[in-house]
Amino acid sequence: MSAPLQVYEPFRAGLPPLIRYWKSLWSRRTFISEYSRSELREQHFASLFGQMWLVLNPLLLSAVYFLLIVIIGGSSDVTRYVHLTATLFLFYLVANSLTGGVKSITAGQRLILNTAFPRIMLPISAVVIAISKFIPTLFVFFIIRTVIGVPYTWEMLWAFPVLLITIFLALGLAITISCINVYFRDIASFLPYLTRTLLYLSPILYEASALKPRLLAIEAFNPLFPILDSWSRTLVHGQAPQGSSLLTGLAWALGIFLIGTYFFLSREREFAVRL
Amino acid sequence: MPSASNLHATNEIAVSVRGLGLTYKTSIDQRPTLKARAKSLGRGGKHVRIIQALDDVNLDVEYGQVLGIIGTNGAGKSSMMRVIAGIIPPTKGRIEVFGSVSTLLALGVGFNPSMSGRDNVFLGGLAAGMSPGEIEHHFQEIADFSELGEAIDAPMRTYSSGMFSRLAFSVAATVRPDILIVDEALSTGDAKFKEKSLNRMKELRSDDRALILVSHAMATLREVCNDVVWMHKGKLVLRGKPNETIDAYQEFLQVGKSAALDEDV
Repeated sequence: MSAPLQVYEPFRAGLPPLIRYWKSLWSRRTFISEYSRSELREQHFASLFGQMWLVLNPLLLSAVYFLLIVIIGGSSDVTRYVHLTATLFLFYLVANSLTGGVKSITAGQRLILNTAFPRIMLPISAVVIAISKFIPTLFVFFIIRTVIGVPYTWEMLWAFPVLLITIFLALGLAITISCINVYFRDIASFLPYLTRTLLYLSPILYEASALKPRLLAIEAFNPLFPILDSWSRTLVHGQAPQGSSLLTGLAWALGIFLIGTYFFLSREREFAVRL
Repeated sequence: MPSASNLHATNEIAVSVRGLGLTYKTSIDQRPTLKARAKSLGRGGKHVRIIQALDDVNLDVEYGQVLGIIGTNGAGKSSMMRVIAGIIPPTKGRIEVFGSVSTLLALGVGFNPSMSGRDNVFLGGLAAGMSPGEIEHHFQEIADFSELGEAIDAPMRTYSSGMFSRLAFSVAATVRPDILIVDEALSTGDAKFKEKSLNRMKELRSDDRALILVSHAMATLREVCNDVVWMHKGKLVLRGKPNETIDAYQEFLQVGKSAALDEDV
């Protein structure tokens, strides 16, 4: 804000000056952390258990889906449960980014109409909120894993690159969907069905290796498939993930992030008149 | 918004607007949905309407000036403020802003009604590019001026409209930018607060600051401004001394000096 001279001219189609954009985004990083913190605090403000819900949620979630597997699948294998919790929690990182991201622009209307700031902050904040919800679930997962007695290996360190790819993908998806929602408000209503479908198409309630070859084609259309498969291999089975899965996951994440961000940045100056 | 006091000499240009044009497209349909888009295919793909909000506006604002902007609803007053604040890019022309602008900060407060007034002030400030330290520094003054008391920690959805605008005005009036834009934020609140905010506006007039007030409260403008611009349908009609411009505007409206115009602060 201390810039002595600011010039506003008509924007040509396409990207804003990226270096300046990045600088103004970076100078507002405290907004992102502050926003996610107050949002999280406010979400559980009136509930009896308060912040405890951050841990209770994933526990109940995994219990419900385990019930489903036991009743429908008839399986009560404990590693199955470990696989379910690991992948389900990671899936919810992406799903929460999507549900938080989709309305981030349209809900920030008041702010957008009255303040000049890089709009991309809003979907990024949605992803930061999703990550803050994910971290406690990771602790829950490791407790479950230790209690059940699954051995620890060095290959589990592969979880870090897999997690990074997932966050990248989540960012790309949140940015893309928040932008689409400005033009087609229907997306917000479609989203629950979209995430539910994605859940069933992903190796969460089943393992990737258990899939019939005929159904393996879904792998090619689901950006989450290679990531969740790698995540389960490294964290549940303690093996290194397949290189091809990692690369496919990375390609999906990069592709969605770059296309979505381009779309967003070239459109965001129009948001103020579209809301 | 670092208050760069004494950096700007009186009569130095604060904002220069040259040949400003703003057109934008809005959907004909109320809400942009797939159904609406599909329907528009039926009528030949025409789903947007082009609105000429501003047309070839030239305007200079100098430091030390208190500029009032008047005009009927839809004259383009708020659009022009948003362009000057960098919120909407112009379609034509060039705008130069020398100094820090309060980007209508006041109205950005309260963007999340389920958060407390305190959180909203913080987040609004951070989004506008202030540092946490700066907001911390101003916060007590904002809270005191707004006279909200303990309500500052209550969710903003519980606020009355008077409380809401009191907080908004307090933010705008406490953070001291080089160029302050107040867009009709003065019009609510009880008589006591109106008096208080009018006094604050007078205090804020200084030689190294430019004030731009968009208002329908003619009495306030006559009292506070030293320059008034009248806008109509996206064009600048008249600029001059407050009394002359406002008289011309009121004559145009053919309402004369009715009580309705002077009453609101």
